Amino acid sequence: MRRKLDGADRAIVERLSRDARVSNREIAEQLGVTEGTVRGRVKRMEEEKLIRITAVTNIDRFKDAALAYIWIEVERSGQTREVAAKLAEIAELGFVGVMLGRADILAITMVRNAEHLAEFVHQRISVIGGVRGTRSTLGVNFIKHDYRMARIVS
Amino acid sequence: MDAAAPVMNDLSSPPQTQQIDLDATDQAIIDLLRKDGRMPFRAIARALDVAENTVRARVRRMEESDTMRVVAVTDIEAAGYGMLLAIGVQVEGRSPETVARELAAIAEVFSVNVVVGAQDIEILVVAEDQAALNILITDKLGAIPGVRRLTPALALDVLKNQPDWVPFHAA
Repeated sequence: MRRKLDGADRAIVERLSRDARVSNREIAEQLGVTEGTVRGRVKRMEEEKLIRITAVTNIDRFKDAALAYIWIEVERSGQTREVAAKLAEIAELGFVGVMLGRADILAITMVRNAEHLAEFVHQRISVIGGVRGTRSTLGVNFIKHDYRMARIVS
Repeated sequence: MDAAAPVMNDLSSPPQTQQIDLDATDQAIIDLLRKDGRMPFRAIARALDVAENTVRARVRRMEESDTMRVVAVTDIEAAGYGMLLAIGVQVEGRSPETVARELAAIAEVFSVNVVVGAQDIEILVVAEDQAALNILITDKLGAIPGVRRLTPALALDVLKNQPDWVPFHAA
């Protein structure tokens, strides 16, 4: 279990989740703590993988971009972890999770259209040893994604 | 909910902005900031062999046009959520878009996609524990008019989660 953020951590993260380019000094002034406190806590949270400070780009700014959900079934249940690990290496996949229900693994990626999705699944997913079959769903309207939340893995 | 409230507030919708074209320098800046969002402008400039003012101006342009943001992403477990689920939503009697917007207003629903296929909407949700999940599914999601059926799958293990591309007009 990862530790939960305490009150001071959360106050810092709340500020960073809107604009992480803000300086430690500015955050310190707003919260009435020292700059060293802010710097130390941010460093610790990053090192413990409680937060990740990163650039996100607006999917609306990219032409012909749709989110695709790919549900994967493996040949034998014992292969699930191994197949998921191989999937996690595919750069184009933004999410890979071992699931309970609906399928063995869920992978999410961004594609240009249905044709591109079919090609991606055929060439990159179906060829992985242990993959028995896939079911894909193409997004037509990406309404919300709260980028402030994710499972921080690496 | 209390544990995570500060990082779970809904985003305000930004105003409509001009679309800009990204060149190789912009893309290189984004790539560096994806790896380290707090990399100093000076270090970025040095890495790309351009002037620091150029980097500063490019970042500001991408931020002001709502093309890129540098943000802190919080681990869901650190935020107090022990469970992550992918739920398919079948809709009847209302448009999927309308139902999707109502789903998007719920803080624990952190991703909402209108899709084509057996499901009408795919959502990703988090819950603190089983009791909270029960309330979320039955009393919140299931109570939305037009929601006919919810088909959930629980994530046992998330091996990768790097949502680098997201819509900025989040509800």
